[in-house]
Amino acid sequence: MSRRASGLKAWIIQRVSAVYLALFGLYLALVFAVAPPQDHLELAAWATSPWVAVGLLVFIPVLLAHAWVGIRDVLIDYVKPIGLRVALLSLMALLFLASGLWALQALILIQVD
Amino acid sequence: MTAIRLSVYRYQPDSEPSASNAPKSDSESDPRRPKPYMQTFEVQAQPGMMLREALLAIKEQDETFAFRHSCGEGVCGSDGVNANGTNCLACITPIADLKQPIQVRPLPGRPVIRDLVVDMTQFYEQYRAVDPYLIRKDPLPEQEIRQSPADRDKLDGLYECILCGCCSTACPSFWWNPDKFHGPAALLQSWRFLADSRDQATDERLDALEGPYKLFRCHSIMNCVEVCPKGLNPTQAIGRIKELMLEQSV
Repeated sequence: MSRRASGLKAWIIQRVSAVYLALFGLYLALVFAVAPPQDHLELAAWATSPWVAVGLLVFIPVLLAHAWVGIRDVLIDYVKPIGLRVALLSLMALLFLASGLWALQALILIQVD
Repeated sequence: MTAIRLSVYRYQPDSEPSASNAPKSDSESDPRRPKPYMQTFEVQAQPGMMLREALLAIKEQDETFAFRHSCGEGVCGSDGVNANGTNCLACITPIADLKQPIQVRPLPGRPVIRDLVVDMTQFYEQYRAVDPYLIRKDPLPEQEIRQSPADRDKLDGLYECILCGCCSTACPSFWWNPDKFHGPAALLQSWRFLADSRDQATDERLDALEGPYKLFRCHSIMNCVEVCPKGLNPTQAIGRIKELMLEQSV
């Protein structure tokens, strides 16, 4: 087991997730710019259509993984005191975990509705 | 003859502040220790004058002024300075290209020893850390190790580096982590040996670069490419290292 945090793995996760985020983000921007759902029912119908549902399910962990690598880079670059760095990394990890679970819950609830 | 105005960084930690425009140290810090300041000089313009010649003219006016220089033609890499915010070799930077008064400072991020002379120890340590020499596992041949012209061409744009340090000292990632991040100059040399058909330590070299610091602090900011006085492209070399790493790991 290496003592080191990952280098190559983090980098490739960031690169690959960026491609998905760019494509799906563009799709989301287009949907909400051209034909945004007018009410909750329309939004639910859009979000529960199979392709969009799968796309959103993938979008959440990919977004969080990308953000994690990015924020980890920022903290490694700028926060030198090791205690503060570990505290901030832990805080961000918890925040991301909570956001991910919350988004997942929202996706599941909208399917059930 | 027109005059050229320069504003030059002065710092002489080992001497009393002698110049009249040297600021007084504040009472909190060591009063014997002078603070750095900018000093203005005017020198006579010469046709085709380079920044190095202007610095030499300053030295004639004030012999306590210190800067490194040697060959005077962009080969030795001694006179890397920061002129108007951009790292360059003073000997090949025409005065005509610089807006006056020319602000001349030491290479950023390095400890200043005196005036424009900086401590490059960490820079050389990072260079040493990439094992910048051919490593062979096969027994060495009687004479030279042969290389095809095509393989030799792969070293173009890599071997020309003169280690002036303009790139690494322009790199924010190197400013933040000069003890852990190899920096563009050392990584360009790392790729120079990874790309060499005669080198046989690819795995060891790549393994040594793993982890978040040595290679992966590079965020493709590309300041290195912008300032390299030899027109080299460390960012591209770093990208090639990452590609090779990926190739060898999947």
